[in-house]
Amino acid sequence: MQSQRPTFQIQLLGDHAIVYKSNAGQLKGIDQDLLAFTQFVTDEKIHGIKDIILAYDTLTLVYDILHFDSNPFLFANTILEQFNASKKCLNAMENKSIIEIPVCYDASLGIDLQNAIKASNCSIDELIQQHSDKIYTVYCLGFLPGFAYMGDVPNAIQLPRHPSPRSKVLAGSVGIAGRQTGIYPSTSPGGWQIIGRTPIKIFDPTSTSLTLFKAGDQIKFKPIDLASFHTLNAHEDVD
Amino acid sequence: MKMSIRIIKKGISDRIIDAGRYGFQHLGIQPSGPMDFLSAQLANTILDNDLNQPVFELHFPASIFEFEETMLICICGANFVPVINDKSITLNTPIQVNPKDQLSFLQPIEGRSCYLGFKGKLDESKKWLNSFSSFQTTLNKGDHFVIHKVAEIDISINPFKQHTIQQVQKNVFNEHEIRFIPGPAWNDLAPASIQLLMQEPFRIDAKSNRMGFLFNGPAIHLSAPKDYLSSAVTMGTLQLLPNGQIIVLMADHQTIGGYANLGQIILVDLPRLAQLNNQCPFKLSIINVQTAHQLYRSIQSWFKH
Repeated sequence: MQSQRPTFQIQLLGDHAIVYKSNAGQLKGIDQDLLAFTQFVTDEKIHGIKDIILAYDTLTLVYDILHFDSNPFLFANTILEQFNASKKCLNAMENKSIIEIPVCYDASLGIDLQNAIKASNCSIDELIQQHSDKIYTVYCLGFLPGFAYMGDVPNAIQLPRHPSPRSKVLAGSVGIAGRQTGIYPSTSPGGWQIIGRTPIKIFDPTSTSLTLFKAGDQIKFKPIDLASFHTLNAHEDVD
Repeated sequence: MKMSIRIIKKGISDRIIDAGRYGFQHLGIQPSGPMDFLSAQLANTILDNDLNQPVFELHFPASIFEFEETMLICICGANFVPVINDKSITLNTPIQVNPKDQLSFLQPIEGRSCYLGFKGKLDESKKWLNSFSSFQTTLNKGDHFVIHKVAEIDISINPFKQHTIQQVQKNVFNEHEIRFIPGPAWNDLAPASIQLLMQEPFRIDAKSNRMGFLFNGPAIHLSAPKDYLSSAVTMGTLQLLPNGQIIVLMADHQTIGGYANLGQIILVDLPRLAQLNNQCPFKLSIINVQTAHQLYRSIQSWFKH
């Protein structure tokens, strides 16, 4: 039986990157073929590929011009053909586990929580349930090292960004911006509506893995109380 | 034997850079390479270093450096009128400094990014994720850089280096054309905006920095408002902001972007853009990827012995 081989649209990102764009259409999580292809390119360690960046419906490969002597569309196609010829492509993500992240939704940490329940016209318990029942997909990392853009937030608790960003949002703060939710990996300015805080470190420049997440991961938030937050707290910057 | 360089006075935004930190952009960690890779590589070429050895990248007003031992340095890129103990020194040439010598910079004459190379190997303790590039930090007063001495052969300006200097200077400072390859949102532009983009001169806005250069010029618009899913961006990506202004992402760009991606400035022209002063007008033009690759390959011959 012949299985359906994936095809992607190939685009140029200037003279040193190529982009594979999924044809899957409506975005519901990340296209499984694109995820499998990302895994393939990562495992192959292709000489001259400097970065492999998966985001929503695209996979971008940053390359060293000196390592490729053909037209970039040609070598982009060659890599895709190698993937299609390999046995390990489809269903690579079948056994993916869900990463559970403890979050304390106490108003002392979720500094926009009061505003959020007013705006979404629900109780704190309802908001917590809506936010933590859902399994989110990490669509990409960016903005800050380790900052994961996850979706999709249920319609009822989607909140707009603050019109102007706060100058300081603490590391571990969990926020909502429209359909997306995310965790600030380090203390920084930020405009998302903060509804809670995780006690665990999301980005650690001294660890070998650096971050907890990568694009394509599945995440679920687990509500914890304030006492548990303080017991587990790994952040150095708490007053 | 160890040598060292100390920062005596903090500059506005100085750092150490090498070719950049690649392989981590999928985690949101940007490469943080040089703004002008040609001038950075030129400093290393003149000192017979490996091309991508770390160098200091300086912006005006720049830091003041003190050298604790005798060593060789070389300054390339922007001309900020470098002086050692108030005595002016020449760009693009190896300079011997002596213990307690202080290097400072008097005024910005031409260019935006100045490179200070040194003979020797920077101590590995400054390395993180395969790169010496400063990550979201700048040089501070009191910072101290340990440099391990390497064998010095005769480091002088031979005809080969003379040629390299001329080629880099010409490419970076004597031309004003900025070429790009159209990107995925190019066809979403209003036809009148495409005309403006290709005909009108632009200038670099004063609010520009290592993250991005904002362009001053005519307002540019899409045919119709459109939302884009975020995708990877790199140094040189031309993004259209909702207010009609163009921003080109530079060395400290974020790893992904969600604004309309109009195109990508080619690698060879990035040093030129990086060194353009705010008052200097420039025009954009389109180039194809094959030609961009040929131009990039031809540059390699300037640096290979």
